[in-house]
Amino acid sequence: MRKFLTAIILVGIMALGVSYSYAGEIDLLLQKLVDKGVLTPGEAQQIGTETKEQVKQEIAAGKYSSLPQWVQNTKIKGDFRLRYQDDYAKAAAPGTKQSNQQRARFRLRLGLESKVNDKIMVGVGLATGLNTLTATQNANKDTSRSTNQTFGQGFGKSPISLDYAFAQYTAAPWATIIGGKFKNTLWEPGDLIWDTDINPVGASLKLNKNINSNVSLFMSTGILTIMEDTGNTSAPTMFTIQPGANFKVNDAINIKGAVSYYQAFSVKGRTLDGNVGTNSHTEGTFTATGHLLYDYSNITPAVEVSFKEPFKALGVDLPYLALFGEYVQNINSSVKSDNTGYMLGFKVGAEKVENFGDWQFRYNYAMLGKDAVLDILPDSDRYGGKTGIRSHEGMFDLGLGKNTWLGFDYYYGWQIPGNFNVTQSKPAQVFQLDWNMKF
Amino acid sequence: MKFFNKLWIMGLLILGIAFPCYAEKIVVEGSTTVLPIAQKAAEVFMNNTPGADISVRGGGSGVGIASLLDKACDIADSSRAIKDTELDKAAANGVSPKANVIAMDGICVIVHPSNNTDALTKKQIKNIYTGAISNWKQLGGPDEKIVVISRDSSSGTFEAFGVLVLDGAKVRSDALLQASNQAVASTVASTPGGIGYVGLGYVTSSVKAVDVDGIKGSKETVLTNRYPIGRPLFMYTDGAPKGLAKQFIDFILSPEGQKIVDEEGFVALK
Repeated sequence: MRKFLTAIILVGIMALGVSYSYAGEIDLLLQKLVDKGVLTPGEAQQIGTETKEQVKQEIAAGKYSSLPQWVQNTKIKGDFRLRYQDDYAKAAAPGTKQSNQQRARFRLRLGLESKVNDKIMVGVGLATGLNTLTATQNANKDTSRSTNQTFGQGFGKSPISLDYAFAQYTAAPWATIIGGKFKNTLWEPGDLIWDTDINPVGASLKLNKNINSNVSLFMSTGILTIMEDTGNTSAPTMFTIQPGANFKVNDAINIKGAVSYYQAFSVKGRTLDGNVGTNSHTEGTFTATGHLLYDYSNITPAVEVSFKEPFKALGVDLPYLALFGEYVQNINSSVKSDNTGYMLGFKVGAEKVENFGDWQFRYNYAMLGKDAVLDILPDSDRYGGKTGIRSHEGMFDLGLGKNTWLGFDYYYGWQIPGNFNVTQSKPAQVFQLDWNMKF
Repeated sequence: MKFFNKLWIMGLLILGIAFPCYAEKIVVEGSTTVLPIAQKAAEVFMNNTPGADISVRGGGSGVGIASLLDKACDIADSSRAIKDTELDKAAANGVSPKANVIAMDGICVIVHPSNNTDALTKKQIKNIYTGAISNWKQLGGPDEKIVVISRDSSSGTFEAFGVLVLDGAKVRSDALLQASNQAVASTVASTPGGIGYVGLGYVTSSVKAVDVDGIKGSKETVLTNRYPIGRPLFMYTDGAPKGLAKQFIDFILSPEGQKIVDEEGFVALK
C-alpha cells in the first residue's frame, strides 16, 4: 500500500501542470515501477490511464474557461428551409374554377439558449412567418401554424416573429418547469392534433423517471392561454395533462405510449384567433367568424412501436420500422357526433436521417371529425388545418450530408361529406419539395 | 371536470412519479462491452447493500458518455477514452468527466470455427475492413467472399478498433453493422465467411479468435501490453465519484468485484 501511494504521488507530480505530450515519460516511470515490483501491471495501467484522462479533461476545461462568460453560457442554433409547393384542388362546384397555386417559399428559424445559473435557463427563438393580421391580408391566415415566407411581394423585406421566449427552471434532474411561450411539451407520434409549428403560451411541468434499464415514465402537464382575458369574459384556456411510458422490450423493439387529456374551457361562445370555421359555431355555415358552440374536452391515447432491423432474419437490410396510431375523442357531453378522430401510420428506413444516403419514408392516414378538436390546432398543410376531413400523407427524406437533407411531402385531403352546410369542396392535393439545413 | 379537481389529479400524479425518486438510486449507462460487468456487479452489490438501487443499461459508449454530459446518468460505462469533442461539451455543460478504470480488455478478431485462418496481422485486418482484401483466398484460404461484420458508430469497441487497427480509415460500406458484442459474435458464428471483432469476454466456443501480429489475445498478454489491441474499460463520473456511485465503483475495484471482472472474461486489474 505504501509503495502504491508513493507511485501515485510520483506520477501525480509529473502530471501536475504537464501537457498530454509528456504521456511517454509517465509510461516509462510506471514501467520502471512495475519492473521493480512497486506496482502490479494492472495498477500501472489504472494509474497511467486515469492520469492521462485527468490531464486531458483539465486542458479542455482550461480552454473553455478562458472564453467570455456569456459565450460559455449561451448556445445558438437554427435552421433554414427552401421549399417549392404546389397546391391543387378541383373546382368546388359547376361554374367554379379549379385552384392551382405554385409557390417558392423559405423559412428561417434562429434560437438562443442561455444559462442564467445552474438551475435556470432562458430560451428565445425568432422565425419567419406572419406576425400580424392586417386589413389587406386574408383574416383567415393563421399566425400560429406557419413560419413560411413566400417568394414575391415585390422584393419587399420579410417579417420576423418571436417564435418562442421562455424561462426554464430545473427543480431536479427529473423535474422541469417552463413558463412563457415554449416548444410544445406534449408528445404525439404523428401530427393528428397539433401542428408542429405551434408554440403554446402558458406554463408547463415536465417529469421524467427511469424505473429500470428498460422502462421509463414521463409526464407533462400545463395551463395554456389561448386568448387573453378581456376583463368582461374569462380567458379561453387549455388545461393539458399527459402521462406516458417508454418500454424497451429488447435491443430491437421499443414501445412508447401516452394518454392525454386536454380541456379547453371558456371557448364556447367565443371566436378564436386562428379559427378556420370548421368547428360547430353559431353561424352554422362555413365561415371563420362564427362563435363556437362547444367547449372541448379531449381524451387522446397514442402509441408507437418501433423495430430495429425487423427483417434481418429474411435477409432484408432495413434498419428501422415504426408503426404508430393515435385516437382522439371530444368527451364534452354536449357534442353528440363528429367528435372523434384517429391517425394510423408507419415509418421505414433510417431511424434518423443524419448522413449522406440515409433515407426515411413515412405514411399516415387521418380522420378528424368536425368537433373532435379545436380547429386552431391541426397541421395547417393537411387540408388547410381544418377539422371534418380525411387525408393521406406520404413523406420521404433523403440525407444529402451532415445537417442537410431533401424532403418530399404529399397530402391528399378531402372534407367528410355532410359536415358542412355548403357546397362540398373537392379533394385538395399539396406537394412540397424541401431543402433543409440546420446549424 | 372542475378546475380544483384537475389540480388534485395533477398533484397525485406528480407525487406518484416524484415520491419514489427520494430512494437512493443511481443510473449506469453505456458500453455493451462493460455491460456484463456492470450488471453482475450491480446484482451482487444490491444483494449486499439493502436500499441501494442501481439501474444498468447498454446503448454503447457514445450513448453513455452523452448521457453523463446531459446529467441523465450517474456513471457512464465506456470501452474507449472520452473524445476531445465530448470534453468540450462537458466543459460547456459544467460536467467534469472523471475516468475510473475498472478493468482491461482485449478486442479479439473472430472468424467462423470452420475457417482455417489462425492468425492475421493488423495490416491484413485493416485491409479486410477497408475493402482492400475481399476474398479469403487472398490470405491463403478458400475462394470465399469475406463477410465483414462491424459495430455501429455509438460503440466504444468500434471507436477503439478504429483507432488501434484501422488508423482512422473508414470501414467498407457493405459491412454488416451490429448493435452489440453479442450480436457480432452471433453473426460470425452463423456466417462461414464472416469476420468480426468483440471484447475478450465474448469469445466462446461458437467462434474462433485469431492471433494478431503473432500474439494471442489473453488476460496476460493484454495486461502486459503485448497484445496489440488491448484497451482499458472505464466508468466515467461527473467529478470524483461520491455517494452510492463511489460505493459501487469501490466495490468493482475490490477483490470481490475484480473476481466478477475475471469471471465475465475480462482482465482484472488486481
